[in-house]
Amino acid sequence: MFLEVDALSKRFGGLVALSEVSLRVEEGEIVGILGPNGSGKTTLLNLLAGLLPPTSGRVLWHDRDISGVRPDIIAALGIVKTFQNPQLFAELTVLDHVMIAGHLPLKRLLGFGRVGTFFAPKFARQELHSRADRVLQLCRLQAAADRLAATLSYGEEKMLGVAMAMMCEPKLLLLDEPASGLGQAEILDLGSVLRDLREHGTTLCIIDHKVAFLAQFAHRLIALQNGSKIAEGTAQEVLADEKVITAYLGRHHARA
Amino acid sequence: MSAVWLLLPLYVVPFVSHNEVLLTILIFTYILSILAIGFNIVFGYAGQLTMFHGAAFGIGGYATYLILSKFGVSFWLAMLPMFVAILLLSLLVGWVCFKFRLREFYFAVVTLAFAELIRLVVLNWNDVTNGSLGLLVLDKPTVWWPGRGVIKIDGTIAWYLLALTSLLAVTLVSKLLVRSWIGRNFAAIRLNEELAQTLGINTFRYKLLAFTVSNLFAAFAGALFGFYSNYIEPAQLSITQSLDAIAMVLLGGMGSILGPVVGALLLTGLPHIIHFSAELRAATYGAILIAVILLMPRGVVGLFPGRRHVS
Repeated sequence: MFLEVDALSKRFGGLVALSEVSLRVEEGEIVGILGPNGSGKTTLLNLLAGLLPPTSGRVLWHDRDISGVRPDIIAALGIVKTFQNPQLFAELTVLDHVMIAGHLPLKRLLGFGRVGTFFAPKFARQELHSRADRVLQLCRLQAAADRLAATLSYGEEKMLGVAMAMMCEPKLLLLDEPASGLGQAEILDLGSVLRDLREHGTTLCIIDHKVAFLAQFAHRLIALQNGSKIAEGTAQEVLADEKVITAYLGRHHARA
Repeated sequence: MSAVWLLLPLYVVPFVSHNEVLLTILIFTYILSILAIGFNIVFGYAGQLTMFHGAAFGIGGYATYLILSKFGVSFWLAMLPMFVAILLLSLLVGWVCFKFRLREFYFAVVTLAFAELIRLVVLNWNDVTNGSLGLLVLDKPTVWWPGRGVIKIDGTIAWYLLALTSLLAVTLVSKLLVRSWIGRNFAAIRLNEELAQTLGINTFRYKLLAFTVSNLFAAFAGALFGFYSNYIEPAQLSITQSLDAIAMVLLGGMGSILGPVVGALLLTGLPHIIHFSAELRAATYGAILIAVILLMPRGVVGLFPGRRHVS
């Protein structure tokens, strides 16, 4: 099994952020998780990435229980998460940022041998540069490689966050609201990049509250409300679900 | 290796000028630069605001001298157990701070508390440290010189060469460090610790590394400082010592290799250039510091063109 989430719950004091959520992600698919603000979407991603320990329940990655495992180990196992608002160094270039994310590929490539690159940093840099070029091409940022992060548009900033995550060669990429704050043209670009990432062999799990955006290319949608899963299935099934309509539009529309 | 090349011409200075005041200012500049470079690694590169480097600086002087006088070993040999002690102490303090995920202000306060704890021990352990009177250091470091055998580092020119060589060595190590994957990981941690973790970086380990390296550099500077000034006192472990190094880094330019050196030169040299009464001098010095930090957020080095690297 690629990824299996089994009755995952998270409580912050008295607040139940996520309650008994179970789901599966198959290799090679794009899963969209939707829900209104406060429905537990980001909490779910943070639990999967190991940024928060679950209160109860399990996360199985290739049949291995990874709940409560440190985030850097989970990243090394192949699950990498992007952040909703990218934080960047204004005075560094796009390429510099992608290089900063080069820890995992270098570690996989050289292991402890990377200690040798301490005295000869050129070798490691060349290897990372060629990977960075590929990742920037994949994310359509190759033309911006030498631009300072301060000059990027918000959409490019978010794409740089995706590029940094892709540098880690994830098997499963968790995207935290990649479309929020983007204009229509940028959302179209994002959609084609995400399809390219899947072609590249990366499984995607995307959370967003823009239903239309998710429905475009997600193979499967999962709807959350108040920390519980209320629906799962194809876009059409989920969008026709009475509970989902109630959650999104209110009870009145569901009856009508 | 541009930073290292820029420092090399300084070897010529004692052969051109025999001005004692100038050479003394430069010797103190080089020694304090090593302390500032260490702070710059943990704060400027890894983004952790430590207040422990002053304590490491003081312990470096005390431990080296105490080991040297107790066991009759040379300055360099005495530094080895001192470095081991600093290493263990850094791992202990760093472990406590980073395990409890102390960040920014909280990390500064707890490291400061550890530093003050150590200063109070040094101040009150009269049998060993001679308390507030401090210790007179009459021994000198020795080096082997081709054709002349083992010689003592005594006199201004010899100290100038030793201090500059030490600074070059530290500059070279820190340059290699920040240009390696370690430096890139430090940058990721400074940018956003959670992001760094999701990029597969064991942030606990790399923060501990930055903290330890910074303290080792500080202790090295402290040992040189004590032996050069012939005197070790508890004030060398004080918060003032930590703050001076922070001021040097902010003034010279954070997150650059030569920034701390420029800052150290200005803060060591300025009091000798400004000839006012003591009170007025301190006030002027403070005003210049405030003005520079407000007007030049990237420090003096930031005024010069040139791209800053992480990779």
